[in-house]
Amino acid sequence: MSFLKNIFVLIKQVPDQGSKAGVNLDGTIDRAKARRMLNPFDRYALQAALDAKKNYGGQITAITMGPPLAIEILFEALEHGVDNTILLSDRSLAGSDTWATSYALKKTINYLGEFDLIFCGLQTTDGDTAQVGSQIAERLNIPQITYCEDFKIENEKIIARRVIEGGHQTLKAPLPCLITVANSYKALKYKTIHGAKLVQDIMREEEKKNKYIKILNINDIKANPDFLGIKGSPTIVSKTEKISEISGNCKILKGSKELSLELKEILK
Amino acid sequence: MKEILVLAEHVDNKLSPITFELLGAARSLADKLQARVACFLLGYNIKDQIQALFSAGADRVYIAEHPELKDYRTLPYNKIISDYISSLEIKPHIFLIGATTTGRDLAPRLACKFNSGLTADCTELDIGEFDYNSKTDIKRSGLYKDCLYAIRPSFGESLKARILGPWNNPQMATIRPGIMLPIKPIENKQGEIIEVPINLTKNDLEIEIIESFREINNEIDLSSAEIIIEGGYGLANAQGFDLLRELAGCFNNASLGATRKVIDEGWMPYKYQIGQTGKTVRPKLLIACGVSGAIQQRIGIQNAGCIVAINKDACAPIFRFAHYGIIGDLYHVIPELIKELKEF
Repeated sequence: MSFLKNIFVLIKQVPDQGSKAGVNLDGTIDRAKARRMLNPFDRYALQAALDAKKNYGGQITAITMGPPLAIEILFEALEHGVDNTILLSDRSLAGSDTWATSYALKKTINYLGEFDLIFCGLQTTDGDTAQVGSQIAERLNIPQITYCEDFKIENEKIIARRVIEGGHQTLKAPLPCLITVANSYKALKYKTIHGAKLVQDIMREEEKKNKYIKILNINDIKANPDFLGIKGSPTIVSKTEKISEISGNCKILKGSKELSLELKEILK
Repeated sequence: MKEILVLAEHVDNKLSPITFELLGAARSLADKLQARVACFLLGYNIKDQIQALFSAGADRVYIAEHPELKDYRTLPYNKIISDYISSLEIKPHIFLIGATTTGRDLAPRLACKFNSGLTADCTELDIGEFDYNSKTDIKRSGLYKDCLYAIRPSFGESLKARILGPWNNPQMATIRPGIMLPIKPIENKQGEIIEVPINLTKNDLEIEIIESFREINNEIDLSSAEIIIEGGYGLANAQGFDLLRELAGCFNNASLGATRKVIDEGWMPYKYQIGQTGKTVRPKLLIACGVSGAIQQRIGIQNAGCIVAINKDACAPIFRFAHYGIIGDLYHVIPELIKELKEF
C-alpha cells in the first residue's frame, strides 16, 4: 500500500534543560551557550512520520525554524531516515511567539506545496505551550488530531487514538490532517545505517548537503515581516521571576512506625 | 461593560471541574474590572446545566445546542465560538479556557482566528497596567490598562513568567486544571441566557468520533484524588508499582501517580503522570516514593495538603518541600509501612 505522497514533520532544537551549561543565575537560558538537543517531544513525531512512510509510503520532509545551528537536528532527522529537510532561518523570526511562529511555518508549508500529513510533537520543552501545531492547522484550514498515541490509515482517512482525561478517544479524519503526537506514542528507534552514512557524506560534500538540506529565509516563503518576531507577536513576556524554594520544614522520621502514626493523625 | 468569558467543559452532559475553576478565576478578575462573567456552553440537551453555571459565578450564558455538538470536536466548536465572537462589535475582554486535552486543542485555533495572544497553561492570573516602551516596536508602545496578567511557570518550572497580550481582545489564556478555586455556589442566582446561532457546514463535521473511553469507576481521576501514592525513577523498575499498589490498598480510595521519567520508561501509562507535562494534583496526602522532587515534579504536587517523601538520597530536593520524610530504601521502608498500616 503506497498512497501517501508527502509527509511533513515539524521539529525544533531546544536547550538541554538537564545540562547546567548556559543557565544564567536568574534561571533564564543563554541559548548560545546552552547545550542543544532535539526537542524530546519531537522524537515521537519523527517516529510517527517514519511509521506513516513505512506503512503507507511517501516522502518525509523534516522542517525546522531556528538559528543556523538548528541544522544539527536536521542531520539527526536524516540519520533516522527522513528524505529531505528544510531550515527556515532569518533574523526577523527571533522572538516570535506561537502566533508568529505558526504564521512562518504555514508560509513554509505553502511554499513546499501539497501534503497528506503533518506531524508535530505535542509541545516543546522550552516553550511548553502545545499551541503551534493547532495554530498551523487553523491557518492551513485543515483538521487536526492532538495528543495522538496511535494511528492507521484506511480508505484514505486517518483513524487515530488520542489521549483524553482519564482515557482515550478514537477519531476518524480526512487527509490532509495535522497530528500532534503524545509521548505515549512509540519511542524513536535507532538511527539507520543508510541515514548515518548519508549524513557522513553530507558533511563532506557541499553539493549533497544542498540536496538534502534546503535553507530558506522569509523572502523565499513570501512572509510578511510585520507578522514575525517580537513586533509581530500578540504576546509579550513582561516579567520573569525565579520561583522561590519552599521553606524546608520537613520533619525527618526514623521509620515506618513513626510514619504510620503521623499518617493516622493526618487522615483523621 | 467588560466581559470575561470562559468555556464550559462537560463529559456526558455533566460539567467538568475545570468549568467551575474557570468561573471562580473569572469571578475574581471580574470583580477587579467591574466586569461581567460569561460562559460559553456548547452541547446537546444540556440546558439543565445552565443554573449550575449561574450559581458558580456566571452572569450570562451563551448556549449552542445541536446534536452535532454533544461531544467536543475541534472544528464545529471552533466554528461556532469564533463565528459568534467575531460577530460581536465589542469582543470579550478576556477569554479563559481550561488547559485540558479539549482546551489545549481548541484555544490555539480560536486565538489564531481572533489574532489574540494566548498564554498556555497558566497557574496564576491578575489584572494590571502595562507600560510598553520598545525602540523597535514603536507602533505598539504605550500605556495599556486593565491587562490580563497571565502567569505561568517556564524554563522547566524554575521561572515564573508574566505574559501579556493587551493589543487584541479577547486576551486569552488556558488555565492549568486543579489550580483555581471555584466560588461557593450561590443558590438560585439568576442570569442572562443568549442563544448562539449555529451554522455548520459539511467540512466542519468531517471528523468523526469512533469511540470514547474513560475509566470512571475503577480509578479516580488524579486531579481530584484525596490520596496519591506517587512513584519516581527511584523505584528502578515497573514492578515497583506492584508494591505501591499494595500500599495504596491500605487506604480508602488512594490513586497511583508517577513522574515523567517513569512514564518515559514505559513503567506506567501517561494518564498517571504528575508534574510539568502531566497533571497538577491537590490531594490531602501524597506519598512520594523514590521521587527526587525536581522542579518539574514539584509544581505538580506542591498543592498537596501533606507530602511524605521516601527516598534514600538525603540530598534529594524533595526533602526541601515535603512535610515528612524518611531517608531510606523504599524497598525496605514501604513493606514495613504496609505492615504497620494493616495493623490499624
